Amino acid sequence: MKRAFLGEFEEVVLLTVAVLDESAYGVTVTQEIEQKTGRAVGFSTVHTTLQRLEEKGYLSSKMSGATAERGGRRKRFFSVTAAGRKALVDVKSIREQLWDALPPQTLQLMGG
Amino acid sequence: MKPPRWASTLLDWWGDPNTVEEVQGDLLELYEYWVTTVGERKARWRYGLSVLKLLRPFAQSKSTDYPSPFLLSPAMIRNYVKIAGRNLSRNLAFGTINLLGLVLGLTCALIIFLVVAHETSYDHYQTQGDRIYRVGNYNINDKFTYPGTYSGMANAMRNDVPEAELVVPLLQIGGSTVSIPSTGNRFKTSLVYAGNELFRLLDYRWLAGDARTALSEPNTVVLTRALAETYFGTSDVLGKTLRLDNKPDLMVVGVLEDYPKTTSFPFDLLVSFPSVKTSMPDYDLNRWNGWNDNFQVFILLKKDTKPEQVTQRSAAILTKYRDEKAAKDQAIALTPLAEIHYGHNLGGRSANLKLLNILSLIGVFVLLIGCINFINLTTAQAFKRAKEIGIRKAVGSNRLSLIYQFLTEAGMVTFAATLLSILVAWLGLPTVVDLLGIPLTSADLFSGKTVAFLTALFILTTLLAGIYPAFRLSGMAPIWALKNNKMPQGRQTITLRQGLVVVQFTVSLVLITSTLLINQQLSFFKNADLGFNTAAIITVGLPDNSPAKLQTLRNRLAESSQVKDVSFSFNSASAESNWMQGMQYRKGTKAVDIKTQLKMGDSHYLSTYGIQLLAGAGLQDRDSTSFKVIANEVFLNRMGVAKPADAIGEKVYYGDGQEFATIIGVAKNFNVNSLHQKIDPTLIQVVPTNFYQAGIKLQTDQPNAEALKGVLAHIEKAWMETFPDRIFEYSFLDETLAKAYQAETRTSQLIGTATFLAIIIACLGLFGLAAFTAEQRTKEIGVRKVLGASVSGIVLLLSREFLKPVLVALLIASPVAWYAMNEWLQNFEFKVGISWDVFALAGGLAVLIAFLTVSFQSIRAALMNPVKSLRSD
Repeated sequence: MKRAFLGEFEEVVLLTVAVLDESAYGVTVTQEIEQKTGRAVGFSTVHTTLQRLEEKGYLSSKMSGATAERGGRRKRFFSVTAAGRKALVDVKSIREQLWDALPPQTLQLMGG
Repeated sequence: MKPPRWASTLLDWWGDPNTVEEVQGDLLELYEYWVTTVGERKARWRYGLSVLKLLRPFAQSKSTDYPSPFLLSPAMIRNYVKIAGRNLSRNLAFGTINLLGLVLGLTCALIIFLVVAHETSYDHYQTQGDRIYRVGNYNINDKFTYPGTYSGMANAMRNDVPEAELVVPLLQIGGSTVSIPSTGNRFKTSLVYAGNELFRLLDYRWLAGDARTALSEPNTVVLTRALAETYFGTSDVLGKTLRLDNKPDLMVVGVLEDYPKTTSFPFDLLVSFPSVKTSMPDYDLNRWNGWNDNFQVFILLKKDTKPEQVTQRSAAILTKYRDEKAAKDQAIALTPLAEIHYGHNLGGRSANLKLLNILSLIGVFVLLIGCINFINLTTAQAFKRAKEIGIRKAVGSNRLSLIYQFLTEAGMVTFAATLLSILVAWLGLPTVVDLLGIPLTSADLFSGKTVAFLTALFILTTLLAGIYPAFRLSGMAPIWALKNNKMPQGRQTITLRQGLVVVQFTVSLVLITSTLLINQQLSFFKNADLGFNTAAIITVGLPDNSPAKLQTLRNRLAESSQVKDVSFSFNSASAESNWMQGMQYRKGTKAVDIKTQLKMGDSHYLSTYGIQLLAGAGLQDRDSTSFKVIANEVFLNRMGVAKPADAIGEKVYYGDGQEFATIIGVAKNFNVNSLHQKIDPTLIQVVPTNFYQAGIKLQTDQPNAEALKGVLAHIEKAWMETFPDRIFEYSFLDETLAKAYQAETRTSQLIGTATFLAIIIACLGLFGLAAFTAEQRTKEIGVRKVLGASVSGIVLLLSREFLKPVLVALLIASPVAWYAMNEWLQNFEFKVGISWDVFALAGGLAVLIAFLTVSFQSIRAALMNPVKSLRSD
């Protein structure tokens, strides 16, 4: 079967969800990406990416945790599915394969 | 510290309902976070932006359960074409009717386009065209612009109109004889006197010679390539000479490339303007007391000059060169080059703008009738396809693909029709060229402009014919189509179809009525009593009218027993160009001015043309010196004299008011003009210096071919002996007079053809509809027959449905036709009346044609054995 394509931003979002473990929902994912990568991401972008990843089957979600500060609205918590984990591992192994294939002198030049 | 309300509301309304709850929560949380990190202003901004991006049209996920196919992919288009082909081949009969109707309509539209495109393209290619104007004389009282002007106007323009960059006078002389001294060949031709300015006014391509100096000297001439080849057999003719009549030789100083067909200046023989003095010493180039249409002045206005700047000084100029009275009656008119083709011009071809408009309208209508056939037959057949449409929809075809399907079918039929119409137009073009006298060739048929027009026409026709059936049929509810296996047959569809038939027959009826009336008017022209004889009169020109020559000719002609009488005159009893002059009758102290037509003829004039004398005596040849005249009844009427005998001996004054002529006879009225115009007050006088033609009356009114040949040979011999070195030409008076009605004859032929086409197309449609109805009602007819209905009863039943729209059409068409024809008849002073029987006849014809068309089908249906039609159930 053809490996599902994972975009760069999708990969970042998926990883962040994995990092945040139990507490991953729209706000935390947005803030985490902003802090870790230092780039300003729009909430709408994160939200649609989360939706898309769920459609692709890499994330599952459940609603819970209504708080007063949100006007009593529930949060949608995301967690990485088995397919999502596999996709992350696949991407990582491809990256590692490519890094390993890098000739040593090139690696030095890059400051590695 | 609330986020912007508008954004929250928007999100409430347009957010994705599946995720709106957590999005609202997340955004609220983030808003507070943003307020603390980046400040309230930026937080509000981010909040709003996020909401906008999350609104449904932008944020909704693109994928649905089923992919929606692209309906114009190559595979689908192939499918449309294939299905269309199958449908067309299954209904070959209806398809052929559709096709024929469209071919006729398209051919008609195409040919009319060619004609209109040709007639409207005259002189458009001239580079300075927008600055070129013709100086004409505008008659303020008659509201008519004469194309010609005073010969002195050229000088006036040069001296008093600084706005004119170039002033180009042109003098056209017709009917000269050109002889080539080197070969001795002679040719009859018309020529134009022009100066070098002409070459700066219009675009010319020179094969040889110098445009700046060619026509500066007298007795020089410039030819076109075609004329040079006719005269000398080669286009290398610089320095050769040709002789004009018996005047000094002319030297060829230039050769021009042939003109495009669409020029109003197709002058093949240009003679230098200074030659006017040498070849026509009597011609007054500074004349202000009269003008002729063969002298025209063109000017090139300077850039950014408006013609009004010149015409507003018209009165001042006319007062300066003529007098104040002239300035009151006339004005200088500047006609733009683009409009010259739509009136009399030196090129000899002109177009009638009104007729072109009518033609275009007819083209549109005939095409419309063809399209209506298509619409009617397609929707009528729809029930046959109801099952197909139902199944297509049930298995998931959407409306758009059905619309494409039907449009493809319409497109294929139209495409085939377009190709066929090109073929038909190509075959029919020579006939059209003959009919209209338009120089069109098959090259015009395949020009870029025509191709573009055809493409547009193809698209338009496809949409016109296809869009209604496409939307109507595709809109059918599938359950209805599958269950009943037929189209919903509301009253509405029937009314619409009948309404379209009404439109078709209204157009046809207007055309039929017009054709009938135009033909009535034409036969009235042919058979009208003009008040003089037109039969068996042959006219020949007189290049030299010295008394000795005329006597020789008369004696020679009289040698033949076939010749009854010969009259020398200025023109025939009725002619296109006439001599008008102001006359004055003094009744006591009161003076009556009478604008009079002067007929100049000898003592044989009355007898040759068979004009009746009511009182007094005829003219004698010696009267040329004593100023005796014959007046007609209209003239007497203007004088205020009731009894012809009372007018004898009365004097009419002319010229400066001292000279007078005495009336010695009164002639019965005869039509001195074509029947378009009234009979002018007319005087007949003997003026031998103005005799330019001889009228020869034969013994028998209808000579047989043998005798005619003999007498023509005799006339030619007599003429050639009198005028050696000239070219003999003759014409029959009745044929010359008939030419005055050429325009009407053409209109009649055109409208006749269009009528024929319109009727054929409408009948095709009716035939198809009748066939369809008969087929649909097969069972009904079977049952009726079984129950004892007669054949004639059934024929009547089926035909009645189609006669109703025709009768309605008659009601609509009659007033329209009456109005149109009444307008047309205003062109004529002598005309037929419009009576009700024309409408009755047209209506009867239409009903008869419709009935015959329909009855073929209905009789067939009525005669069918009911066993056959009922067996299948």
